[in-house]
Amino acid sequence: MRNMDHTLHIQLSNCEGAIIRALGLMERRGYTLKTCSVGEPEGVGREMEVTVTSSRSGDLLKRQLERLHDVFSVELKPAEPIKPHSPGIRPINSRA
Amino acid sequence: MNPSTHMVPVLRSGSQILIEALQNNGVKQIFGYPGGTIMPVYDALVGSGLKHYLCRHEQGAALAADAYGRVTRKAGVCMATSGPGATNLVTGIANAFMDSVPMVVITGQVPTALQGTDAFQEVDIFGITMPVVKHSYIVRNVSDIPRIVNEAFQLAENGRPGPVLIDLPKDISAGMGETIETLPAPLPEASKPDPVAMQQASDMLSRARRPLVIAGGGIAISDSVGAFRAFIERTGLPVTTTLKGLGIMPTDHPGYVGMLGMHGNGAANHVVQNCDLLMVVGARFDDRATGHLSQFAQSARIIHLDIDPAEISKLRKADVAIVGELKPALEGLQPENKANATWLGQCAGWKKEFAWRYDAPAKGIYAPRLLRDLSRAKPEGLTITCDVGQHQMWVAQHCSFNDPLEHLSSGGLGTMGYGLPAAIGAKIAKPEDMVICVSGDGSFMMNVQELATINRYGIDVKILLFDNSALGLVRQWQEIFFEGNYSEVHLDDNPDFAGVARAFGVKARSISEPEEVSQALDWLLHTEGAAMLHVAIDSMENVWPLVPPGKPNHKMMSAKTADQGTGNGK
Repeated sequence: MRNMDHTLHIQLSNCEGAIIRALGLMERRGYTLKTCSVGEPEGVGREMEVTVTSSRSGDLLKRQLERLHDVFSVELKPAEPIKPHSPGIRPINSRA
Repeated sequence: MNPSTHMVPVLRSGSQILIEALQNNGVKQIFGYPGGTIMPVYDALVGSGLKHYLCRHEQGAALAADAYGRVTRKAGVCMATSGPGATNLVTGIANAFMDSVPMVVITGQVPTALQGTDAFQEVDIFGITMPVVKHSYIVRNVSDIPRIVNEAFQLAENGRPGPVLIDLPKDISAGMGETIETLPAPLPEASKPDPVAMQQASDMLSRARRPLVIAGGGIAISDSVGAFRAFIERTGLPVTTTLKGLGIMPTDHPGYVGMLGMHGNGAANHVVQNCDLLMVVGARFDDRATGHLSQFAQSARIIHLDIDPAEISKLRKADVAIVGELKPALEGLQPENKANATWLGQCAGWKKEFAWRYDAPAKGIYAPRLLRDLSRAKPEGLTITCDVGQHQMWVAQHCSFNDPLEHLSSGGLGTMGYGLPAAIGAKIAKPEDMVICVSGDGSFMMNVQELATINRYGIDVKILLFDNSALGLVRQWQEIFFEGNYSEVHLDDNPDFAGVARAFGVKARSISEPEEVSQALDWLLHTEGAAMLHVAIDSMENVWPLVPPGKPNHKMMSAKTADQGTGNGK
């Protein structure tokens, strides 16, 4: 399978370690982090929008994230072929 | 999430609250080792009524808690101090994670004000263990302890079980706080199988000409063995098991074709490679079970039943997935037809062709034959705990099991050193049953210090130690795949194992000749209290069959063939 970009919108707890747990899972499961933004909307918890690159399925990553106790919900946007970073979006890893 | 029920406020120390919360969750035994930052908890332990087993290494404590959790299906609890105490637990935590075992781990931590300063015995155990826990907590307020403990047990024991870690800074465990007693959180509602998927699966089972069921450890974990056996009797389907599925079907059941995989039975590997429908129940397509994945059961459509949605299509795409509790799913599947006689006849033929043989000439004591004899002589309610290596595979091949809890083995992580502490945990969990640790000379030395735990508490476990003066499985691979270039596998300088056992107060004897086996097994099984039988075997003995890495399951090597073997064992 060829590499694709997968973008996930994640709502999660603001408990200690929640963000690093979710991001760590992505890398350990074979998804390269490309961009990430974290927000703290009104109400409970945080939200993250993450784009990862992998030859593995975005749906599988969604299900792996959903089983984390800290994660409330995961929305997976349709997969896209790999594209360069858009101007104005700062990649997590500048070498990526 | 805080579904706890609020009651009367009571002033307690953090450690007292922890002990009470553990007791409220049904904990009676803890395996652990004290040290600096966990001292307030050990202080509160005195007179609490909780029984603490002082293991002689934190890894031993974690692995004993693992076995306790496997046997009881309730979280085994282990505890250690910060720094090296906590890091020594990590192998045991990972072991529980890989095999979906309920466990609650409590670690001491340096006081909150010192965290992040490289304080003495400070490590970020919360971060270190994140990849190998189901969930974890750092406690920041005394008043959070009851909620966190309740959640930890609920998470560890429900759904797909796993280890949960609670990191407890010393200022929290030693501090006083006004808190509230809580009752355990209510259980989440069990998920029900999707009726559409259930109908599709029933239809596929009815139409299949060459169906096969793989039974995995999830069946035992979910207490679904009875429902699974009833399903098999109803449908007449042939069954193979993974390593963790051993005992889900009685070994002598006519429809059982043996364990599949790298050191599986030839019959099982041929049946799985020739089936046209594979129903996988509570298993996860581990590489040791499937061999070369893209060539695994190539003609088969897949029905996958699992409680964990993340296992569906992770490695092999499922044509139909049934996600949720296994018991209602197994009870609800109603195929119209039973398995056809032609296919069952073919399976029976393979089973006969690849039946284990014990007539090969062997130099000295032949371990597979000894294990078969042990299995024949064993009493009802015998639990075998294994270490990892050749002996582990021989146990899987040559011992009979009537219940999955009769066989405790480190499946996913493959932890050398599991067997002895696991025997301790299993015996404490089920004191009425006989427990035998089957080990090898390499593995045994990994946690040999737990002989002291056995002696300290008078734990009646038996030890069957196969000694080939080598790291046998690695030596076998070096012989086969590295042209006999043996590197760091010889253990000719092993200690006098029987002498070591006696030094720890454990009765022991050694044998090396085949004619000694019968009487020695009788001695082991009937000696009162802990005892060890040390068995010297040929260092060049191999485990057969063997599916070479990267090969499909039917390409088994045997003693006689290179890579197209008949898999007939020795």
